[in-house]
Amino acid sequence: MVKLITHNLLCCHARGCNYPENFPLVFRDVTQLEVREADYNAEFLQKMMPRLEWKALVDTAKQLGDTSLPEELPEGEAMDEEFLKKLHHVLMEIHIEEGAMHCPKCDHKYPILQGIPNMLLAEHEIGR
Amino acid sequence: MAPYLLRFAQCHSEFRLPELDSIANLYGLRMTLPEAAEERDPTLAFMIVDLDSEEHARLLARRCILIKTVYELWASATSYAELHATMKANPARWAPYTWTKHKYLVGAANHTIPDARMLDVIESFDYMDLKGEISLKKPDEIFVAMEEYPEKPSGMISKGHDDENFLRVFFGRQLENGTARNLMVEFDIKKRKYYGNTTMDAELSLLMANQALAAPGTFIYDPFAGTGSMLYTSAYFGANVFGSDIDGRQLRGKDKIPGILQSAEQYRVAGRITDCVVFDVTCNPWRCGELFDAIITDPPYGVRAGAKRLGRKEGLPMREEAKILENGAPSHESPEYRPPKRPYELAELVVDLVVLSRYMLRPGGRLVFFLPTITDDYQEVDVPQVEGMELVANSLQLFGHGVWGRRLITMKKTTSARLPMPTFGRRMPDESTPDGHTPGHQGFREKYFAGFQRVHTPQE
Repeated sequence: MVKLITHNLLCCHARGCNYPENFPLVFRDVTQLEVREADYNAEFLQKMMPRLEWKALVDTAKQLGDTSLPEELPEGEAMDEEFLKKLHHVLMEIHIEEGAMHCPKCDHKYPILQGIPNMLLAEHEIGR
Repeated sequence: MAPYLLRFAQCHSEFRLPELDSIANLYGLRMTLPEAAEERDPTLAFMIVDLDSEEHARLLARRCILIKTVYELWASATSYAELHATMKANPARWAPYTWTKHKYLVGAANHTIPDARMLDVIESFDYMDLKGEISLKKPDEIFVAMEEYPEKPSGMISKGHDDENFLRVFFGRQLENGTARNLMVEFDIKKRKYYGNTTMDAELSLLMANQALAAPGTFIYDPFAGTGSMLYTSAYFGANVFGSDIDGRQLRGKDKIPGILQSAEQYRVAGRITDCVVFDVTCNPWRCGELFDAIITDPPYGVRAGAKRLGRKEGLPMREEAKILENGAPSHESPEYRPPKRPYELAELVVDLVVLSRYMLRPGGRLVFFLPTITDDYQEVDVPQVEGMELVANSLQLFGHGVWGRRLITMKKTTSARLPMPTFGRRMPDESTPDGHTPGHQGFREKYFAGFQRVHTPQE
């Protein structure tokens, strides 16, 4: 797990890290990446779209070797099924199983074990 | 609209109406409950509801966990004489079935009808003059007479002396047995690949998914996911689900493939488990709110697993800088590092959950959770009252001879105001409890282990 939808919705929450400097987290030391089929649902994708940071999604997908998404979020008729299928693949089917996510600001490392990231903060990083 | 008769499963009577309401809401069905309060009594085994079509009645039977059977209602009465009179006034009802392969079924709730009288009852409908083949095994239609008796005190065995002393009798055409009840067998914990000692039972996990209006296209979150019970049932009904927990061992289990994924594969819902992430909800990495259609959770309340949050116990200061180990590396970067945790008081957790939900839900989204309560201490105001979150349902399940129980609370987000991320007790002065009310579930763990005895002052 750790799909790009999750990556796009989480940010570093250590003390002193604020949006937008704490986002997107940077994948490092990814030693296991898998592609697994997920159930396609256009309604779900359309609902998620306004919540996504498009540039972060496109850039992160590229870093992981997927260049299928357009630089700009399509509008109107360009938001067709072909586009939604590509979006579905990038958001829901690429899994990072082992590796880490780092904060672009404070460099806090969130390790990913068995596909489950540990996002707990250290004691001194908890906001007051 | 036309009347349909619902027969409920004999359990969780307080949960019946909220579930019915939720599923009607989910499918956008028009449904009218009886006007008289005594006919809307949720402890009765039968209820008559008005619906637009037979198809709608079937939808309810396929999705409501607490519906046993649905019937097209032809007549209801308090005596057979009255029932037959109503029936005979409308022979057009059964005319289409004159040549149908059929059988009659006579039954009762809270009673066993003696065999001899069953035949009498069937024969009393001879005026319908059905000429079709009678098939006990494969009938095309089942015509049903159902008697409803008052509930007997548990343990009392009926000796048949109250035979025919029924409250109501119904006649109708059976449409469908509730198929959702079979899911209880499918989701039985005993057959689940991965579960823990606080895993929610199958029936209530399914009920919660119904209260959450789980359906394809929805996004549902469990912030105390544990071993994932509600994730599986919500995903089964088509939702994309997301789980988080402060304890990664619960989510992962001991095998290489995380436990949650193993059970999800068993239920063929792995394709809808969006992700599971380890964090403390009071110190969470969500980038934005308004993400979820529902939040569904059984928060840890300290009987089998005490709730914890990051921090140090009362009075102890938090470290301001990273601790540097002898080898010069910061301690928190070592794989063995575990941040300190402190007990998380239930009363505080419940308020935080409602406030978190108000932030994370889309407007109109639902929060569904269990609140443990001590019967003598519970007051209605114990359910957190948070502006912008409205109570939809509150159903009690009792344990320990009624001394304590848990309430399934369903709330709806009614505000569409954009709110900031809550601070969860790292509270600003103006965020403290507004009225200083101490809820009855405060200190639930301590009260549970003390056997819920009232604390007496030494003077007594």
